[in-house]
Amino acid sequence: MATTGRTARPRVAVAKFASCDGCQLTILDLEDELLEIVSRFDIVEFPEATSRRSPGPYDIVFVEGSISAPEHIDQIKELRKQARVLVTIGACATAGGIQALRNWADHDAYRAAVYAHPEWIESLATATPVAEHVKVDAELRGCPIDPGQLTELLTAVLVGRRPQIRDEAVCRECKRKGIVCLVVASGEACMGPVTTSGCNALCPTYDRGCYGCFGPRANANAKSWSAGLLKSGRPPEEVRRIFAGFTGYAEPFRSVITELGKAKG
Amino acid sequence: MITTPAPSHAAAARQWFLARADLGALIDGLRDSGRRVIGPTIRENAIVYDEIQSAADLPAGWRDEQAAGRYRLERRADERVFGYTVGPTSWKRFTFPPNLPIASAHRTGSFGFEQPTPDAPPVAFLGVRACEIAALEIQDRVFLGGQFTDEDFRARRAAAFIVAVQCTTSSSTCFCTSMGTGPEVHGGYDILMTEIDEGFVVHAGSPEGAAIVAKLPTRRPSHAEAGAAVDNVESVRTQMGEPLPMAGINERLKLQLDHPRWAMVADRCVECGNCTMSCPTCFCTSVVERSDMEGRRSTTERQWDSCFDVAFAKVAGGDFRSRPRDRYRQWLTHKFSTWFDQFGSSGCVGCGRCITWCPVAIDVREELAAIAPPIAPVIRPVAVEPVAASPGSYSIARVATIRPETEDTSTLTLTDVDPAFLAGRPGQFVMIALPAFPAVPISISRFRANGIDLTIRAVGPTSTALTNLHPGAKVGLRGPLGTFWPVEEAYGRHAVVVAGGVGLSPLHGLVDALVANHDRFESVSLFYGSRTPEDQLFRDDLAAWSTGKAIDVAITVDRAGPEWKGRVGVVTTLFDMISWDCTKVTAFVVGPERMMQASVQGLISKGVPADRICVSMERHMECGIGLCGHCQMGGRFVCKDGPVFRLNELGDLFNREGI
Ligand SMILES: Cc1cc2nc3c(=O)[nH]c(=O)nc-3n(C[C@H](O)[C@H](O)[C@H](O)COP(=O)(O)OP(=O)(O)OC[C@H]3O[C@@H](n4cnc5c(N)ncnc54)[C@H](O)[C@@H]3O)c2cc1C
Ligand code: SF4
Ligand code: SF4
Ligand code: SF4
Ligand code: SF4
Ligand code: SF4
Ligand code: FES
Repeated sequence: MATTGRTARPRVAVAKFASCDGCQLTILDLEDELLEIVSRFDIVEFPEATSRRSPGPYDIVFVEGSISAPEHIDQIKELRKQARVLVTIGACATAGGIQALRNWADHDAYRAAVYAHPEWIESLATATPVAEHVKVDAELRGCPIDPGQLTELLTAVLVGRRPQIRDEAVCRECKRKGIVCLVVASGEACMGPVTTSGCNALCPTYDRGCYGCFGPRANANAKSWSAGLLKSGRPPEEVRRIFAGFTGYAEPFRSVITELGKAKG
Repeated sequence: MITTPAPSHAAAARQWFLARADLGALIDGLRDSGRRVIGPTIRENAIVYDEIQSAADLPAGWRDEQAAGRYRLERRADERVFGYTVGPTSWKRFTFPPNLPIASAHRTGSFGFEQPTPDAPPVAFLGVRACEIAALEIQDRVFLGGQFTDEDFRARRAAAFIVAVQCTTSSSTCFCTSMGTGPEVHGGYDILMTEIDEGFVVHAGSPEGAAIVAKLPTRRPSHAEAGAAVDNVESVRTQMGEPLPMAGINERLKLQLDHPRWAMVADRCVECGNCTMSCPTCFCTSVVERSDMEGRRSTTERQWDSCFDVAFAKVAGGDFRSRPRDRYRQWLTHKFSTWFDQFGSSGCVGCGRCITWCPVAIDVREELAAIAPPIAPVIRPVAVEPVAASPGSYSIARVATIRPETEDTSTLTLTDVDPAFLAGRPGQFVMIALPAFPAVPISISRFRANGIDLTIRAVGPTSTALTNLHPGAKVGLRGPLGTFWPVEEAYGRHAVVVAGGVGLSPLHGLVDALVANHDRFESVSLFYGSRTPEDQLFRDDLAAWSTGKAIDVAITVDRAGPEWKGRVGVVTTLFDMISWDCTKVTAFVVGPERMMQASVQGLISKGVPADRICVSMERHMECGIGLCGHCQMGGRFVCKDGPVFRLNELGDLFNREGI
């Protein structure tokens, strides 16, 4: 495998599948750090910023978006071959994203309802996370990703240490910030207890329950949390919707949604 | 001693009265002395501690309604300022900040690490409750009491002026009276206030406090006002009800490290860590490194962390607490048990924050009661005074019959025994002697109208001599000795007898009693395992029990020839027949040590409570009455504190090697 020399800048590519480009925009929004990033990394492929195209191999490939169309499967496999390190970014790439909600629906009916000429649209019946198709070396979660975690990852790559990206409940960030728990004090729904941190409790900071956009943390006890939401008097359909957000297709949220769907039917 | 002393009306020395309308003067006074005032204020639907500019920021007329997983603000009927209990934030936030830069490093030109000097400007904490003072004192021991200290904490703690408030109301989640920390404040403050209808009874606890109080528009409280202050606090004690039985909680928890409840609570726990974050004494942290892209300058920040974190106990080779139950157990045992060993007190002050702020409403008080209930008093023989108790004095009995049970075991029926033996209880034993042979302990296997049975295995000189006796021979007896099976405690429950090999002998009398009273139990069953069919004791009785309706009998052997039609396998393989609610089982277990260990484990994992599992222990005995010291097992004399024990009495001693 061709790698860049010690002094050469790492070659970085950003690739996009089914997604809204929000995560790529996060990279462009890194105003303070962007110049430094560009000077330290050789960004050879970046659909949102440039039309420049250059072939692999790459040191790092950031992948945005879920695998939702037939041609995506070969493309992601080819990219994997070209990438020394493959990093998925955002809820779409890491968990299937909001599109993955169709994984529970009747795909053809869904397509007919959305598009004027469904027969022109070629799409897979499911929208799946990249990791279901190829090996992923690192993930940046969120919808969109957190700029701080992105710079941390790039810094860690340059310095050669492990990125300090923690897998803890959003609740921890709430507590460190001194936010009063919305669930306990106001009876709101919140996915914080089962969602991995990284957003610095963005939603609770603005008085909204966490939507779970960073996805389930390792060993998340989603079963107990859905039981807790049901016990608070919410009907199963509502609890199902609370779980079925940006990362609903990721386990163990997926099982909870399927289970609650059964309860309804 | 863990329970707080009751309050006294006597401590009225040097008290002042401050009208509620003049509370602003206190805040001004504190601010004028150069201190930032942190106190209670309403934010985000809760009373939190934050910077206070004036009395208008205080939550006058509000109270908090707290329960497990629930907190709501309610309007009070009066305008009391401190008429709430404790909120989501604790003072830990200010003495031990959630994020703190602790070092920076650089390698541009030079190379070095710098430590920031603690920066702790003067501050006043207004409204510190009794439990919170106890928490600050715990922090003192944790951070300043040992060889290595936290200098940032030292500076912040020293910079904090404490205005304590005695509670005149409590929440359903409060349990300070159980932890011996409140509601009365006994020290650790600069100013102490107690709110009554018209204002506050105030007392200075330090020269700095006295200086502030001196400038307030106070007067001496009337006798009625001083009395009302004491009564208001005392009423909180009554409101909280009976304190929880916390005596010995450190040891009690240590005996329950394998309790099935750990897994049950872990099924509910979402491991959010809100409990540890809200707890005023939890001190765990991790460091986060931040650097520029070249790694030339970096800062190290300390952050609150929690033992509920999945990576908290990870090392390269694996995770020491890989299961949720391990992590829940770490939290509860640290707070209520191992903290005593590390810091000389409980790590819990009873503030109830971990209960209120747990989003799935787990209540540590319920978990403690289920996992480590107060240890029941040792079962002691009651009715019968043993005869010939002192070693060397014997009561004479005569061998009536002798029946072989197995190749090496025989049952002796003794008659002409002292009536005391007839009044003995199943599970008790006798010391039996022949001239020239040392006395040995033998369980009473059966009580008859005019005698007792002893079933003896010939393993050495005395036992061999005993099994070689003939009808008419005389023996010396002392007893009946030791504790017995608590049959009555199993009334209304499923009585389960588990016997291995000759272990059926001390259980035979129990089975007789269960069969005779079978309608008093939910069910009665016997699981019996022996090495081979030939090793079974009491074959006639087994057959009779099996055909009767009073008891269900299940029998297994480890190995057998082709003529054996029954089950093969160790006795625990019979447990798959258990279909009852195991919390309603009382079990009686005797057999070889390995068999007892496996059986107990099996029963526990099925949910049988440890205090409902009774075992009989065998130890070397000489005197049988607690004088010779041979039979000690930890702090217990098996002869007089046993041989029958409830498992929770033995805890870690049970089947521990080398005890
Ligand atoms: C509470 C209790 C109840 C018992 N009930 C029965 C029973 O119902 N039937 C039965 O067959 N056995 C019973 N035993 C065991 C019995 O006491 C020993 O097998 C017996 O003491 C052996 O003595 P020995 O002189 O024949 O053999 P020894 O050669 O002296 O010893 C053989 C083995 O027994 C142990 N032992 C010796 N003396 C004692 C002693 N005083 N106490 C305990 N262990 C000893 C020795 O360490 C050795 O391992 C009971 C023991 C206890 C503690
Ligand atoms: S608001 Fe949500 S994320 Fe924050 S502590 Fe409560 S449950 Fe956790
Ligand atoms: S607050 Fe409750 S759910 Fe969260 S870690 Fe603590 S016990 Fe578990
Ligand atoms: S363990 Fe719970 S009740 Fe005890 S001090 Fe901590 S938060 Fe308060
Ligand atoms: S309970 Fe857990 S978080 Fe709290 S001090 Fe102990 S180990 Fe640390
Ligand atoms: S635990 Fe006691 S001291 Fe603490 S707030 Fe409740 S009543 Fe007051
Ligand atoms: S046998 Fe002597 S102390 Fe127990």
